[in-house]
Amino acid sequence: MNKSLKEKLEATFKDIRTASSEDSRMAVSAESDNVLALLRFLKDAGFNHLSLLSAVDWIEDDCFELCFILTSYMQNDDEVTGRQRLHIILKTRIPREKPQFKTVIGIFPNAEPYEREIHELFGIKFEGHPRLIPLLLEREYEIPPFRKDFDTRKYVQEAFEKIPFVDDKDK
Amino acid sequence: MDRNQITKWLKAPAKMANKYSLHAIYFCTGCGIIEVPPVITSRWDAERFGIIPVATPRQANLFLITGYVSVKTLRAIIRTYEQMLEPKYAIGFGSCPINGGMYWDSYNTIKHLDKYIPIDGWIAGCMPRPEAIFIAVTHLWTLIDKEMANGYIRYRENYKSYRRNQEMALGKLEWPPLFPVSDESQGNEQ
Amino acid sequence: MVVKIIQIILSPILALVVGVFFLGLARKIMARIHWRYGPPLIQPVIDMIRLFYQKSVSHGSMFDLGLILSLAGSIVVVLFLPLGGIAPLSGSGGLLVILYIMLLAPLGMALSGGQGANPNISIGISRKLILGLGYEVPLLLVLLAVMTRYKTISIIEVVNAQQSTGWLLFSFPLFLSGLSYFLILPAILGLRPFDMSSAPQEISSGPMVEYGGKYLALATIEHAFVLFISIALFVNLFLGGADNPAIFFVKMLVVFVLGLCINAVFPRFRIEQAVKYLWKWPTLLAFLGLIIALAIRS
Repeated sequence: MNKSLKEKLEATFKDIRTASSEDSRMAVSAESDNVLALLRFLKDAGFNHLSLLSAVDWIEDDCFELCFILTSYMQNDDEVTGRQRLHIILKTRIPREKPQFKTVIGIFPNAEPYEREIHELFGIKFEGHPRLIPLLLEREYEIPPFRKDFDTRKYVQEAFEKIPFVDDKDK
Repeated sequence: MDRNQITKWLKAPAKMANKYSLHAIYFCTGCGIIEVPPVITSRWDAERFGIIPVATPRQANLFLITGYVSVKTLRAIIRTYEQMLEPKYAIGFGSCPINGGMYWDSYNTIKHLDKYIPIDGWIAGCMPRPEAIFIAVTHLWTLIDKEMANGYIRYRENYKSYRRNQEMALGKLEWPPLFPVSDESQGNEQ
Repeated sequence: MVVKIIQIILSPILALVVGVFFLGLARKIMARIHWRYGPPLIQPVIDMIRLFYQKSVSHGSMFDLGLILSLAGSIVVVLFLPLGGIAPLSGSGGLLVILYIMLLAPLGMALSGGQGANPNISIGISRKLILGLGYEVPLLLVLLAVMTRYKTISIIEVVNAQQSTGWLLFSFPLFLSGLSYFLILPAILGLRPFDMSSAPQEISSGPMVEYGGKYLALATIEHAFVLFISIALFVNLFLGGADNPAIFFVKMLVVFVLGLCINAVFPRFRIEQAVKYLWKWPTLLAFLGLIIALAIRS
């Protein structure tokens, strides 16, 4: 399917690996320095919708992995075989000790709530984001709750089980 | 049903009227609300029992908490419950208000709703079927008859404990206490 | 004299009973149209008993007084309408007085809603008053046509005239006015497609969002009276009135059931669509009826 796209990618950028499992999906792994240029390249090639921006916690490898899912809806270009709804997953790894990344709002403005969510749930800071405040949660957590070393059972016992039932005796 | 028995009406009209005109506030808490529209529309008609949904807590006297309660939802639930007028009944629907349900070890949901607002009855299930809702309503009628559905009285009497629990779970509460909590603070009797 | 006092006391009670029965009948018929059973016919009474036993919250003195004003206005209008043979005050003022005092109902609610601190109330009241503006224009033209044709403002004379000429709904030229009044009847009653002023899903019941306990009971009673007044006016002017209250009630029932059938099927208009509709065909028909009535008279 995207032989030509794959060839173009590997020609333009170094240090990336591509793999495609089906005809309409492709996974691209890149270094974190290349990501913004890669995103701009893919947006110009027709993948102009950022469907999802998410993160994975690889605690054994001591890194986070950011995943960008790009789709192209109206692709009639015969370079990219005219089939609609192609997906590209762009993955990049960032170190776990000081997790930060550059914001992609300049290329895809709809990444703003995704980055807020990743910041409050994983603790990854995005430089250049205008408003990095919590999106869904109310409370403050010392370890961001989606990390693999966050102990949910301990947190529930400390935060919720300690609250006593209301008894008629303590009127 | 004993709705037609004139002697019961003459002896205790308040109880009979509270039983057969339960207006439920249409507060869609969580995933359980998907079971409520079939109950109140044509398939399992709840209007035969006198139950209709209303849009505002001032006109309601039944509160169905239909699903998991996250911390932000608990704020809205407490404010809605305190705006309802007495006598009022609250029913916990599904297994999430009972003991956390599927989200028993979640970082952001309330596990036992009974610590924060008084619940008169529980319906088990995930989600309960509409027939279970009707059985719960008939149980509520029995409780009202025996005068055991007094969640709102418990709330008034133990308000200090409830408010302390609410503050432990939510941090600072933006609304003043509903009943006078201690001697020096002025309660805002709503 | 004594008969008049008895009639003055009896006619609002009769209007209340009939109005509350209509409220219960509305829920039952709507349920049957939806292929389900419905609440029993006395369900509004059960609701009102429960509401009177419930505590209520007031937002100030104008909150209470506005509602009482609205209720009082509706009760007074009932005294001016002949219901079958019972017509206590219909000799004095007739249609003009009714037209003025009918406005007290939404104005009272607007006054009481002004002190309830909720923006939904203002949205609901603004919709109600704009809808009032919408249906007042064709209503006034209809009433003017009737008044011109019979050279009177007293409803009793119109009722008596229909004993000889037959129902005004089928007489030339006033059948245009009758048709126009029937077309605007759902707007006056607040049934779909014109129930946007108290829309539960959009604006949390509009002006009634802060009413609980006894205030809601009074608002329901006021709604029952408004229902009664609008249908009774239509029956008196265009369907011949009646000699005794029983036949009068049957005629009201027929009109109400027709209005309910329209209510069951239609969705809700937006307020600008409602005013556009009300000022187009019903106004045109009423205007034609008025012109022809003037032409025939001279």
